[in-house]
Amino acid sequence: MVALARLVARPLIVPAIRKRRSALAGLTPYLLLAPSALFLLAFTYWPVVQVVGGSLTVRGFRGAPHWGLDNYRRLFGDTHFTTAVVNTLIYAAGTIIPSLVLALLFALALIETTRLTGALRTLVALPMLIPLVAAASLFAFIFLPNAGLLDHYLAKIGVAETNWLGNPSLALGSIIAITVWKNCGYYMLFFLAGLAGIPGDLLDAARIDGAGPVQRFFWITLPLLGPTLAFVLVIATLNAMTQIDHVIVLTQGGPSDTTSMILFYIYQQAQQNFDIGRASAATVVSVGVLFALSLVSLRSLERGIHYET
Amino acid sequence: MRLFLVAALAACLTAGSAHAATEIDLFFPVPVQGKLANEMQRLVEVFNKDHTAIHVTPVYSGSYDDTNLKTHAAIQAGKPPAAVIMSANFVREYVINDEIVQLDRLIEKDGLTEAAFMDQFWPALRLNATEQGHAYGVPFHNSTPLLYYSVDAFKDAGLDPEHPPVTWQDWLTAAKKLAKHDGATTTRWGLMMPGTYDYCGWITSGLAMSNGGQFYNPGYGGEVYYTQPSTIGAVRFLDTLVHKAKAMPEGVTDANAVTTAFFQGRTGMMILSTGSLSFVRDNMKTPYRVAFLPRNLDNAVPIGGASLILPKGNSPEREAAAWTLIKWLTSPEISGGWSRFTGYFAPRIAAYELPEMKAFIAAHPDAKVALDQLAYARGWFSTYNVVGVRKALEDGVQAVLSGKATPEAAMAKAQLEADALMRPYVEQTALKLPE
Repeated sequence: MVALARLVARPLIVPAIRKRRSALAGLTPYLLLAPSALFLLAFTYWPVVQVVGGSLTVRGFRGAPHWGLDNYRRLFGDTHFTTAVVNTLIYAAGTIIPSLVLALLFALALIETTRLTGALRTLVALPMLIPLVAAASLFAFIFLPNAGLLDHYLAKIGVAETNWLGNPSLALGSIIAITVWKNCGYYMLFFLAGLAGIPGDLLDAARIDGAGPVQRFFWITLPLLGPTLAFVLVIATLNAMTQIDHVIVLTQGGPSDTTSMILFYIYQQAQQNFDIGRASAATVVSVGVLFALSLVSLRSLERGIHYET
Repeated sequence: MRLFLVAALAACLTAGSAHAATEIDLFFPVPVQGKLANEMQRLVEVFNKDHTAIHVTPVYSGSYDDTNLKTHAAIQAGKPPAAVIMSANFVREYVINDEIVQLDRLIEKDGLTEAAFMDQFWPALRLNATEQGHAYGVPFHNSTPLLYYSVDAFKDAGLDPEHPPVTWQDWLTAAKKLAKHDGATTTRWGLMMPGTYDYCGWITSGLAMSNGGQFYNPGYGGEVYYTQPSTIGAVRFLDTLVHKAKAMPEGVTDANAVTTAFFQGRTGMMILSTGSLSFVRDNMKTPYRVAFLPRNLDNAVPIGGASLILPKGNSPEREAAAWTLIKWLTSPEISGGWSRFTGYFAPRIAAYELPEMKAFIAAHPDAKVALDQLAYARGWFSTYNVVGVRKALEDGVQAVLSGKATPEAAMAKAQLEADALMRPYVEQTALKLPE
């Protein structure tokens, strides 16, 4: 922070007046940073402190609150929390892997710029423009058993009525499918940008050396896409943890908790059961895990990345 | 110059507030359909025109659960709304948490006693509006679960539409006859019901009550009876309908899917709120009838719907203005008009004495059946931590509907969870003993 402050302040201080205002000069960088620091403090750090404090405050019914780890004990003892964690892991794996693979395939297929690929790119990227809540409301009709669009077309090939959102074995899969549909076009844009940055002469050289398309992809394109991949992976992980609008609209975590995820669990504890202590504890745990995860993933990915210089 | 402007502005403001009407806000949920929100807007405009000393701003606050959440948040933030249309079974929690104005004082100021005031409403509705002999809510619109059935489907299955099922035995037989299977696909279900959160618990409690049960302790917010024979029997009956009789679809169906199937003739019967009567009447293209929820032992249904409440923490002026609004909204005329518009019952008995209401009931026999069922209605289950306690049951019932658990195991788990959620309250009340 101090280093950053110096950096910001340096070009602004003219040497001639430095002497005269030396007392003030020390303050200038801090004054310049003060507005943003104020907002950071008020809207980021203060809530963090409050959540940590809330997670350590044990409130009984009609009793005076006291400090303790009881909220964490209750959190880890709650099977709904375990279910939510497992669901989140399935959801993360189920959305990240297919949407990244699909996005990369789309990007490779649509890398050449023609009128047709331009139109197709727009089509693939279109879902990202639809807010998740609106997308979920649309899918409520698509998934309607028997009468919905999906069942209507599936019936033509002989697939019987399916309760996409009401069958505990299918509900999470349906939620995953919406997310993949929604996010894959967005990630494709990153891959398109990444692909455009790969020098053509490298690929040409490989082609002259007799490398086939598969070899060129695995030995040249994919390694050079490393930074893009690392970035998209982190974005996708964050999305998987922080977007639950469709769960709220479509299933409310049901049937029988099969689509409940960590963020939804937190919402439920805080807003339905008014158990702020447990909600705060779950928030601290999930943010902690997310933080550790992004540190580890960024570091380990960086090690394997070929940055161009 | 600037000083002058400020002074002028201040003068304007003080002059304005001297004659200004008391500003109050009303939080209202729309649980059924959007057109109710427009009607509420219109009603409030009429009220504002007739009461120049009060200005009401209606605030649409989402579903019943959302309204509860927003009201809680507003109270915590120190800016409670003046009045709220609150899901009737949430009232008890506000009493437990001491966040609601006891209405006795306001009622007595009008020259009535609490009992005389409550006598103006149907008996079944008084349970959720009072707590230990004190009034906390004024019933605004109410409903019960109702059996809707298609006349064409009944005829097609060789059933008599004039004699809908009365007992669970008739019901199961009818459902089996109505269900039409074509190989692996089902072209018509016997019965459908919404199994999503909120609806699922309400209907299950109705079945437990029709099976002789209480389901919850109406007098105390710390007990539910999920593992009692009456509830186990009700859940087993649902299991039979789905898995043995194959008359009801497996898994959880939401209310939209249920009504769509009913309108398309893909289910012979459905259980839905009486609050949806107008919606069904407007959208069903073939003839349909309604009947009481069938019984195994007793005719019984829980009430649903909402009451008007006054959250604590408002100024006496705002409280008085809100009380005026509440009395106006629950007057026989307004109550009756809202009932005809929505399909909900008018909670005021006197509403049904009005000529337009008599004409309406005569013209709509389905509304008459719904009204007659009110004689058998009971309280809506309400406990400490009611949403979580309800969800514990619903997770269990959904597991049974999906074939993932036996009724006994699912209910045992639900009871454990519900008890854990109510424990803080129980420990401070029923288990807090003199030492």
